[in-house]
Amino acid sequence: MTESLIWWSIAIYLLIAIGIAILSRQGKSESMSGYFLGNRQMNGFVSALSYSATTYSAFMMVGLAGLTYAGGVGALGFEIIYFAGVSLVAIFGPKFWAVGKKFNFVTPSEMLGHRYNSKQVAMAVSIASCVFLIPYAAVQLAGVGYLLQGTTNGAIPFTTGIMLATAIAIFFSYVAGIRSVMWTDSLQAIMMIVASTLVAFLVIQGLGGFAALFDTLATEHPQSLTVPGSGLFSFITFLGLTIPWFFFSLSNPQVSQRLFMPSSLRSMRQMLIGFLVFGFIYTLVSVLWGFSALAAFPSLESADLATPSLLASEFVPPVLGVIVMIGIMAAAVSTIDSIMLTLSSMLARDVYANVKPGASEKRQLLVGKIVIPVIALMALGFAELQLDLIAVLSVAASSGLVAMVPAIIGAFYWKRGTAAGALVSVLGTGAFVLFVYAIGNSFLGLPAGVWGIIVSSVLFVGVSLATQPCQSSADSFIAAIKEELSKKSLKPKESETELPPLLQSKVQ
Amino acid sequence: MKRSKWIWLVWAVVLLCYLIPYTLLTDVQAWYGSFLFWTVAGLSVIALNLFITKDFEEHSND
Repeated sequence: MTESLIWWSIAIYLLIAIGIAILSRQGKSESMSGYFLGNRQMNGFVSALSYSATTYSAFMMVGLAGLTYAGGVGALGFEIIYFAGVSLVAIFGPKFWAVGKKFNFVTPSEMLGHRYNSKQVAMAVSIASCVFLIPYAAVQLAGVGYLLQGTTNGAIPFTTGIMLATAIAIFFSYVAGIRSVMWTDSLQAIMMIVASTLVAFLVIQGLGGFAALFDTLATEHPQSLTVPGSGLFSFITFLGLTIPWFFFSLSNPQVSQRLFMPSSLRSMRQMLIGFLVFGFIYTLVSVLWGFSALAAFPSLESADLATPSLLASEFVPPVLGVIVMIGIMAAAVSTIDSIMLTLSSMLARDVYANVKPGASEKRQLLVGKIVIPVIALMALGFAELQLDLIAVLSVAASSGLVAMVPAIIGAFYWKRGTAAGALVSVLGTGAFVLFVYAIGNSFLGLPAGVWGIIVSSVLFVGVSLATQPCQSSADSFIAAIKEELSKKSLKPKESETELPPLLQSKVQ
Repeated sequence: MKRSKWIWLVWAVVLLCYLIPYTLLTDVQAWYGSFLFWTVAGLSVIALNLFITKDFEEHSND
């Protein structure tokens, strides 16, 4: 890999990505939903690719391959359970979409604030999301910095790598808000899946084919094909890893906000199925990378070296190696720019607009746009500082964000849920998860990942039962879902009529 | 039965993803052990979602 090949490849990638970002503009977006939700008019194909690129960060190719290298097939089980959890979109997606349209919600936290009739709930969810997701974005950046530095033998130093990734993320967000982010995400997703599949194919061929690879594993590393295997995937660890990730599609606002965006439920279906197909291929490919590395280089110092070793091996031609390297950088950018946009929309909509009532849409949008680079710079600063606390917050992100799950499920299915219940559950669980991580991620023998969902459910139900719900906002929220989802394309006339009062009163 | 009720089958697959590899397949050290099981589980999740969301196609666009 020569330095000029790397820089030329980055230049070509940037040229194409910037072209796509600019082409994605559609007039001037002056509203919050225009800028942050693409006017709720995103098509299914782009939504699917973008959802995939946002979900699968740079660490999939490095982290999941490394996890497979270190712990064996349990890594596949972990990803498949996460993947099955995305089926929650099939149930909650239409409901999010319906209330989003009806009440013009821009953020998931705004939706919770409305449902529980409490500004504090919206603010607490927004701020808790920032606390966990900015460090998560920072660690993504740092990962890219190290990877670029490592694979290019220092030709792209750590700081250059993270500054480059941050600058690209800010640019993609600014060109046309979510539209440019989603279109560039699509480019990145296609690049990632093609390049990584090709690498898996070449490496497995180089090792003698699929059967030979698994024969080698069965004779030399038999434990890698079972759980708990070498012991990394004990059942408790497996539970702690999988439970928070199972709820990822609801708990992480940068993906749950996507449920407001499709132009129709048909597009939402395409988004979900497209993501599942993409995710399935990508998961298998990453796991096969890890297995291949284990068969080819069984004595690496650290599991994180599995991917770099494969890419540097004689099985992978240098040009493909460069494409994968840029793909990994692009994967980090696509995760970071979506997180930046979502957090800035939450801070503008749920914190600023609630602190300053009466702020116009234009004003909120301006605040959102100012906040974007601030979040980016915070992530950049954290990445540079390499604080231990940041790493802890990042690892805690998936467990900490599970705090929102009972309040979200309750919003749709439990009218008795109250604002106080939601507030205590979000704040209390966030604090508890951080506490469990601070004492070594084991409390009474269980990891934070398991505690998160238990504590948040108990707090939400317990405090809700002890306080009074806001009946009217719960009723109007649930009636709106019923009304919107009862529209059938075959009977457009009926779709315009309101539900009869009798039926409305029966709506749960 | 409403299509959305079939989501319970997905949750059943998830439960099996915890149970089977940690019980029946702990000694099957080959590709047709846990690797195949979780791969098939993934494929069945895709198939179930295709079925569950079929009604989305009929919903009015606006």
